[in-house]
Amino acid sequence: MYLAGDFHAMEPAAAAIMELKANAFDTDDLAVFSDEPVEFPRGVLDRPSHMSLASVLGGITFLLLATGFVYFTQHNYPLVTGGMPLFSFWATGVIFYEMTMLGAIVATFVWFLKESGVLRRRSPAPTPKVEPGWICLRVRCAAEQVAEVTHWLNRAGAASVKKLGENG
Amino acid sequence: MVVAHQVIPYDEVRDDLWRPLSGVSRRYLVVLVCAFLVGLSGLVAWGYQLRRGLGVTGLQRPVFWGVYIVDFVFWIGISHAGTLISAILRLTDAGWRKPVTRAAEAITVFALAIGGMFPIIHLGRAWLFYWLVPYPNSRLLWVNFRSPLLWDLTAILTYMTGSVIYLYLPLIPDIGQLAEHATGWRGFLYRKLSLGWTGSDWEWHALERAIKLMAGIILAVAVSVHTVVSWDFAMAIAPMWHSTIFGPYFVTGAIFSGIAALLLAMAIIRRAMHLEKYLTRKHFNNLAKLLLLMSLLWLYFTMAENLTVWYGNEPKEMDVFGARVRGPYARYFWTMVFLNFVVPFVLLGIRRLRSVTTATISSVAVLIGMWLERYIIVVPTLSFSRLPSAWINYGPSWVEVAITASTFAAMAMLYLGFSKLFPIVSVWEFEPHPAEDD
Amino acid sequence: MSVEEKKPGHRWGMAIDLDRCTGCQACVAACHAENNLPVSTPDSAAKGRAVHWMRVDRYYEGEFPDVRVKYMPVLCQQCDEAPCEPVCPVYATYKNPEGLNVQVYNRCVGTLYCGNNCPYSVRYFNWFAPEWDTPLELQHNPDVSVRMVGVMEKCTFCIQRIRRGKQDAKEEGRLLRDGDIQTACVQSCPAEAMVFGDLNDPESKVSRWAESGRATRLLEELGAKPKVFYLQRAK
Repeated sequence: MYLAGDFHAMEPAAAAIMELKANAFDTDDLAVFSDEPVEFPRGVLDRPSHMSLASVLGGITFLLLATGFVYFTQHNYPLVTGGMPLFSFWATGVIFYEMTMLGAIVATFVWFLKESGVLRRRSPAPTPKVEPGWICLRVRCAAEQVAEVTHWLNRAGAASVKKLGENG
Repeated sequence: MVVAHQVIPYDEVRDDLWRPLSGVSRRYLVVLVCAFLVGLSGLVAWGYQLRRGLGVTGLQRPVFWGVYIVDFVFWIGISHAGTLISAILRLTDAGWRKPVTRAAEAITVFALAIGGMFPIIHLGRAWLFYWLVPYPNSRLLWVNFRSPLLWDLTAILTYMTGSVIYLYLPLIPDIGQLAEHATGWRGFLYRKLSLGWTGSDWEWHALERAIKLMAGIILAVAVSVHTVVSWDFAMAIAPMWHSTIFGPYFVTGAIFSGIAALLLAMAIIRRAMHLEKYLTRKHFNNLAKLLLLMSLLWLYFTMAENLTVWYGNEPKEMDVFGARVRGPYARYFWTMVFLNFVVPFVLLGIRRLRSVTTATISSVAVLIGMWLERYIIVVPTLSFSRLPSAWINYGPSWVEVAITASTFAAMAMLYLGFSKLFPIVSVWEFEPHPAEDD
Repeated sequence: MSVEEKKPGHRWGMAIDLDRCTGCQACVAACHAENNLPVSTPDSAAKGRAVHWMRVDRYYEGEFPDVRVKYMPVLCQQCDEAPCEPVCPVYATYKNPEGLNVQVYNRCVGTLYCGNNCPYSVRYFNWFAPEWDTPLELQHNPDVSVRMVGVMEKCTFCIQRIRRGKQDAKEEGRLLRDGDIQTACVQSCPAEAMVFGDLNDPESKVSRWAESGRATRLLEELGAKPKVFYLQRAK
């Protein structure tokens, strides 16, 4: 069972979330929908993210691949140019740097796709329609809790609370 | 007078920013057709060059690089518009940048696409351009990674990938909104591009994290890209090319010309799409101040380079220096100084003269001046080579002029197309955050 | 010494005595004939596009009637640390084991970077497809390729003659002698102002000329280590 409460500002929505969390609701049961990002204070609705780590790891991966590739190709087809050594870190350092950055870029984008879940299949949870400027809090609860949750949402300051069907 | 944008109701914001997406005005069509014709002339010119050979240009030994390379550096420089605005201002949380970021990022992507064509256009055997890419082949050949041109390839490839992603990411929420309201082929396009965006908090969270990371990465890449482009010259031993100052000099020049391009684009957008409420005088004032700052910085680097050459009095370098300052290229050199420094300094430095109009005039001046600056860097060094028996005067042919003109036309067309598909001012970013102070 | 004995590789070099050079340009003509150089029209020559792998630079000193002219035949210096080599992105130019700076026409895509980085301006580009006035196209040297439009070219120290010389010596079962291989320009100089040979052979003429007190190199301060020695009276 999904309930959706519409709020007109961040503070009442945050209050509602804290109230629900105090009553044994998990952040997995909660979702906030809006037309622009809502800046909740820390501790209200934190979602763990490993994007920075992914970015760094992507960069390092591409760096190692690039270094290996340059070393291999320059030795595979060894030609002397201008008296320079076959594999020169300084002469090819730019390549390594750019490839590292490319790795970080690609990793960031791929991780974004994963973390935001935009490419996932149609999720079974209904998406509420949000009016521009409003913040909609969607709560997943058992059928018995509907009245309770509705009460909490209204008390926190929801303008309206409704049950969500398949079409939100 | 500053209009406080917070008081514009959200519906009005969306209507204003979405209105240009539907319908084409007469003026739009006229500009599009003109741009198309100019672009076509460039294609014809290039086709002629492919058929006959590079001899149709004005190039000759020892001036092996001419207007095409000038164009290349110029357009890659313009592409730093987005980097400064989006990345630096985003990282420093300057709120006034918000209506400007998408226009800037669009300039970046299109300028890169155009600039990236020139390494192909200037080739003697352009149909073999893909040989610069290391791919396994039956002849077991690889490429020379020690060449600065390969560094160019990787740098521009990286920057292009990053810029496209950096343009696309903040576009997703706006496309999501558009997808809800659009029908037909547009609706199909928007639905596909929005990737199923629903506006949930974890999507926003991931998006903002990604944008913040990308801002930092893009900044690092952009600095390296134009440094690497400058090293095409600095790594050579030609007199007045082989200078350590080229890295920072070119990055500064790129940001300088990028801001000018952005200012010009904004002035046109503001007028053509009636976005005076969103691109306010405050934005132009801030960008004008940045332009002035970059002008001074550019002057500093130019002086540092020329002063050290002149004082050092090394004969080969003095040949080139004399050519620039007193010789055949003097008129370009001093025009460049006038356009890049005097015009912005007077029009923007004097508070009473600073306005949207004078800022636009200054940007046009800077754009011309910066093109001349690239010309001054590339050509005199080559035409006054180390062995005087090879000295020659270079002048571009109609082919080079046509192709150069067509790049501006291409930019116009790309921008016209983009502004009809996507809102040029970011709608979701324009909405003020509750916790934000501007 | 038998042919099978291991000997050090060759290192080809050239020495030009500027005090003997008369500026007759027989070397220029010979190079044209030997290496299938395209013929320029007056128009292309005026545009600075005449291709002369070997060219004679003229430097004038003084005013009429006390004018002195110095002639300097300039060709690819086959530098040991050639600045043109590392900048080519596709390895169309590199140093071969015999010290020659080779140009691979088939590989060149025409980025023109090597031409910019050559301090001697001895690289020439095929701006158009090369042409010959009839009947000069019948005079082509079959040992040398004809280049196509968009490709950079330059003096090769007549690599075809080097190969022919080495092959002849091998077939005849003898060692290469100094003077066996002569490039077209060296062969045709009426003043005998030029010599070509193996710098690794201390007895060769070129090595002895290179060690002369009059030997200098062009733009030596750049450190490209050119292998063409110019002999002239020290002032």
